[in-house]
Amino acid sequence: MSLNRDPAESAFTFKGGMLPMTVMELTSGDPERIRAQLAGKVSQAPAFFQHTPVVLSVEQIDEPHLALERICAVCRGHKLLPVAVRGGPDPVKQSAWALGLGWFPPQEARPRGIETSAVEKPTEAPAEVDAEPPMVSTSAPIGGRIYRGTVRSGQQISAPDGDLIVIGAVNPGAEMLAGGSIHVYGPLRGRALAGIHGDRDAGIFCHDLHAELLSVAGTYKRMEDIDPRMMGSAVQVQLMEDQLKISALA
Amino acid sequence: MAKIIVVTSGKGGVGKTTSAAAIATGLALRGNKTVVIDFDVGLRNLDLIMGCERRVVYDLVNVIQGEAGLNQALIRDKRSENLHILPASQTRDKDALTLEGVETVLASLSEEFDYIICDSPAGIERGAQLALYFADEAIVVTNPEVSSVRDSDRILGLLSSKSRRAEQNRDPIKEHLLVTRYNPNRVDDGDMLNLEDICEILAINLIGLIPESEAVLRSSNQGVPVIHDDKSDAGQAYADTVSRLMGEDVPLRFQHVPKRGLLARMFGGGSRR
Repeated sequence: MSLNRDPAESAFTFKGGMLPMTVMELTSGDPERIRAQLAGKVSQAPAFFQHTPVVLSVEQIDEPHLALERICAVCRGHKLLPVAVRGGPDPVKQSAWALGLGWFPPQEARPRGIETSAVEKPTEAPAEVDAEPPMVSTSAPIGGRIYRGTVRSGQQISAPDGDLIVIGAVNPGAEMLAGGSIHVYGPLRGRALAGIHGDRDAGIFCHDLHAELLSVAGTYKRMEDIDPRMMGSAVQVQLMEDQLKISALA
Repeated sequence: MAKIIVVTSGKGGVGKTTSAAAIATGLALRGNKTVVIDFDVGLRNLDLIMGCERRVVYDLVNVIQGEAGLNQALIRDKRSENLHILPASQTRDKDALTLEGVETVLASLSEEFDYIICDSPAGIERGAQLALYFADEAIVVTNPEVSSVRDSDRILGLLSSKSRRAEQNRDPIKEHLLVTRYNPNRVDDGDMLNLEDICEILAINLIGLIPESEAVLRSSNQGVPVIHDDKSDAGQAYADTVSRLMGEDVPLRFQHVPKRGLLARMFGGGSRR
């Protein structure tokens, strides 16, 4: 069954998407306390408060009624845009809908995907429009980065929240950092550190291995420790039983 | 509007000043109004290579600090009337240079000259960064050894991130590779990196290959840029480089060990080493 048979005639299409979303985990329903804390945060990180969409999570609050309207007003006053509420009893759900906000079931009620990485970012994907829930990947491409060109000695390219893809050479003395995996379509002669926040499922993939250092989730191999037979070939590097395993890319 | 070309390398002693002097002279000999500026404040050398050390009165720092006019500091070359030298100060250090001061000097030189060659100091600090900041093109001087290649790679990173063109999001600096002190015999013996390896790592356009030559040291000590020595291999190689810089298509020379003739092989002579 397709919702949009002829794309030329349809005014829109429904698409499933995984968007990064900040969850505001409320531990208090008191708008004044929220206001005081937000004022402090704004001065610390003003760049964050640029009409940032947030999901208000009220799972930790054990109250049947919440001053949801006032909480939303406080958020908007600090350039946060509440778009939905997560959790809470039925009256909270009703008032969220009344305020034009979406409502998500509490986190526990939803099927957990494959175990997410140890340091979960304060982002949460909103529910899907599609009926089919997408596969949860261990290192989502969201927040990833594609770099085209030669990465030169002394340069540091990082993708703290995702995969780093380099289309070009990574020269000696250059450093690649990624929260997820690192892919190098060219010779890797510098250092590559994947899974810098502890993601043990991250990997390093390259066309031509000459790396000075390889690291996944803090476990590393220096050039000296790398099997010389792997040098110059296309390889993948994975963490297995607390050891870096370098194997040929078939 | 002049074209501003920085001659840089990261590593010291690879032949930046020799190359800046030769290329500036070559451009002037082809009829371009050219000025070569020594940015190595505190370690002034360009005046020696250009043979004008006894005519230095004012320098770049004097001009920047308003103690002398630009025309008072510019030294006209003895051999080519198209060529001028702006020497560095020997008594000051790189902190005497300011971004605004350099900009003003380059802007006024730009009105009068076709080419401005900036001879960068070694390193990646303030002096080197100021020398490359306003550049339109860069000649990266590299020796066939790993440390020089790595330092050149570092400088290429700075050229693409710390220059005015990069900061203003304009077209990037046009980067050229100039390999100097190349000795094909030692490359064949495996003592030196070969040209292909250097070009592969640095991944920029090769503008010239200067063979290791006795002529370079000789001309430095005489204060005559080596390009004037058109009998020497290095002089010819710099002339080729200048041709390429001006857009001509010149085949690469001096890359391989010259084939020795029958007599040379029989009597064992003819080596250029």
